[in-house]
Amino acid sequence: MISISKKAWTWLALALAVMCAAPWLFTENQYLLRVFTLIIFWIGMSGCWNLMSGYTGYIDFGPVVYFGIGSYVTAIGMTKFGGSFFFCAPLAGIIAGIVALPIGAVALRLRGAYFAIATFAFAESMKQICLEFDRAFGVSLFEGSHGITLPISSFENIFFYYCILIVTFAVMMIHFWIEHSKYGLGLKAIHEAEDSAEIAGVNTMAIKLRAYIMSAIFIGILGGIEAYWITYITPSDVFNVHKTVQMVIMTLLGGMGTFFGPVVGASFLTILSEVLGTEFVENYLIMVGAIIIIIILIMPKGIVGTIKEKKNIRFI
Amino acid sequence: MEVMFQAIINGLLLGGVYAAYSAGFSLIFGVMGVVNLAHGELIMLGAYTTYWLFDLFHLDPYLTLPFSMAFLFLFGYLIQKFIINRVIEQPHIMSYILTFGIHLMVANIALKLWTHDFRTITTAYSGMNAAFLGVNIPYARLITFVLALLIIAFLWFFMNKTETGRAIRATAMDKEVARLMGVNIREIYAVTFGIGAAITGLAGSAIAPFVIIYPEMGLEYTIIAFCVVVLGGMGYMPGALWGGFILGLAQSFSATYLSAGISVAITFVILFFMLAVRPTGIVGKGLVGQ
Amino acid sequence: MSAILECKEVSKNFGALAAVEAVSFHLEQGEILGMIGPNGAGKTTLFNNIIGVYKPSRGKILFQGKDITGLKPHRICRLGVVKTAQIVEPFRAMTVFENVLVGALHGGGMRMKEAAGKTDEVIDFVGLGGDKHKPSGAITVPGRRRLELARALATNAKVLLLDENMAGLNPNEIEEALILLRKIRDAGVSIIVVEHIMRAVMGISDRIVVLNFGAKLAEGPPREVMNNEQVIQAYLGERVSAMMSETL
Repeated sequence: MISISKKAWTWLALALAVMCAAPWLFTENQYLLRVFTLIIFWIGMSGCWNLMSGYTGYIDFGPVVYFGIGSYVTAIGMTKFGGSFFFCAPLAGIIAGIVALPIGAVALRLRGAYFAIATFAFAESMKQICLEFDRAFGVSLFEGSHGITLPISSFENIFFYYCILIVTFAVMMIHFWIEHSKYGLGLKAIHEAEDSAEIAGVNTMAIKLRAYIMSAIFIGILGGIEAYWITYITPSDVFNVHKTVQMVIMTLLGGMGTFFGPVVGASFLTILSEVLGTEFVENYLIMVGAIIIIIILIMPKGIVGTIKEKKNIRFI
Repeated sequence: MEVMFQAIINGLLLGGVYAAYSAGFSLIFGVMGVVNLAHGELIMLGAYTTYWLFDLFHLDPYLTLPFSMAFLFLFGYLIQKFIINRVIEQPHIMSYILTFGIHLMVANIALKLWTHDFRTITTAYSGMNAAFLGVNIPYARLITFVLALLIIAFLWFFMNKTETGRAIRATAMDKEVARLMGVNIREIYAVTFGIGAAITGLAGSAIAPFVIIYPEMGLEYTIIAFCVVVLGGMGYMPGALWGGFILGLAQSFSATYLSAGISVAITFVILFFMLAVRPTGIVGKGLVGQ
Repeated sequence: MSAILECKEVSKNFGALAAVEAVSFHLEQGEILGMIGPNGAGKTTLFNNIIGVYKPSRGKILFQGKDITGLKPHRICRLGVVKTAQIVEPFRAMTVFENVLVGALHGGGMRMKEAAGKTDEVIDFVGLGGDKHKPSGAITVPGRRRLELARALATNAKVLLLDENMAGLNPNEIEEALILLRKIRDAGVSIIVVEHIMRAVMGISDRIVVLNFGAKLAEGPPREVMNNEQVIQAYLGERVSAMMSETL
């Protein structure tokens, strides 16, 4: 690894300690705890998108498919097979990863808009499959548009906070590793000039695929946790393109391919959407659309990326 | 047997509809390399133009077509000129994230203005069919089918026989050379987007009499347009017809013999498959994007 | 001297266009082979076939006796054959050091510490020591050419294919580039040089291969090749060639 300063390690340990202690400040106010959890959740989600699209530059418009797969694996595992949450959630990630392998192997041969639409098409197909599968094959597995109700947990909100924190922390550690490793340098080379990278010895397909699968695994686990937390899932919820939009815009705003990008973007936009009120999601989306346009025109590297460029610094 | 004929006719008519509103998408990509993810919103705006003119002024839907075309031409021209033109020198992914932002803004502003309510247009002749050899051919769809052919024909004529059209083709082939020849690239792009938007708005108006109109309708159409154009070959105009027919027939047959839900899934499966196996389209004349 | 790289009847078709037509030649261990030919002769396409960017329609490519035809470029790089591009593409967001490091890590298959050492070594070898931590977009044109070379060398390349590496250089810079090329050859790397600057190619090459319309016209020592009638015709046209043979 490129040398990581003692300072960086200390900051990281401090951040982790703060994150672990934080929810105890909110026990009085469950609403704030929920918002805080939501922020950590979206840092994790957009972090996953950043791992793949932020670093490689391959804009993925279908990451929500792994969220949905994770949700369904957990839901079906717990309701139809009586599995425990602690088994089903990690399983959700594993199965998401297994699905990601062939899909990524095919999709990553495409570039630009073609890759984006292929991933989007896959996500929409999975949604349709979950909606139509039972009816088409005469079974009772996905429950179509009725949705699946998971067993109600006896756990408090704080339990889910920690589950999500673990995943998000893992995602951020992977970011950290990417910023300092041979693998990460390969990713960045692919982003800059993929053909030159390949000729210089970078196994571009393997590296892209690894990023895609890692991203899928953690999105899948988050899908599983979320399913257990909200207790009821339907295909149009868990495969909703809105989640993809969130991941994209948060990373874009924060800065694609940076360590702090997802943190900044997710925090800012989660708070913004709470402020604007979840009642009229149109308002939020109009803002999001405007932010996207402004970012692309003025600050394509996002907040963190632009700061890094202007001041020529490395944060971590 | 009749069932199969009906399925074929339905498929072809549906294909015509698809071709009509996908041609603009192919044009914009072919000339500028921009994948317009706000494409569906152009259709939505065209449909709403027709709806409001019909609802407020009692204009027959087919009389609203010129208004829709003019409005969408202006809309598209301005968007390209002042927004999208700013990123044309950058990697293409910038342009489609940008158009995605435009999609979000336009769809949600429309939602605020016009609410979630589904709207439909019912005229004296809605639902009237021609009956031919035991199959039903709804007039509205037949008109749209003819319109699709007219649009493609118009585009061919415009691109090959007019000076602006030739400038557009030159720009599409080699931007730098065209620039050296004195072509104002940004202006050409703005006009091209305007034309693409106009014919798409036209299609949106033409389908308004027989589809459900609501602000979020756009995304679904963008997906279909993309599928049609990938099937037929990106940037290859007649390909919109090929792609439209193939998709229309595939959907029609799966809806007739399997289920409506499956036919939607079919679209995505076909799209994914085409992208994986033959991104240059069925006839192989498509431009594969960077 | 044994052949380190060999092309046997390599052909590449793009649809109906035969870009490379049954080209056979070899590169000796430790030599500098010049490759010349008019624009569009197929030199770049041939290079791309050798390093795996394209798969030859027919024919074989052997490296150190092993068949490398159709392998993926990154594998061919790791085996020891690397190309520099006609249009220089540094990893713009990275520094000079990081650019070369990519080559050492991935192409050279080294671990971080070893790769960093190799990177320093190579950067000094090509003379970019002073620019080491500058962003690669901020160095001069000749500097960028040397960066390309450095990245290729960091992969522990045994064969280097240089595609117009001297384009855009002034005469002084060309002299320096030639000196560097000899240094590289003396360090044990075999090189194929594609250039349009005749003086440079003639001066540095042990042997020359001439391509035209995708086919090989001639192969041999510089003097011999330049007096070959077909070669003269290809470059100067039939009329001039006829004129020359009349006056001589």
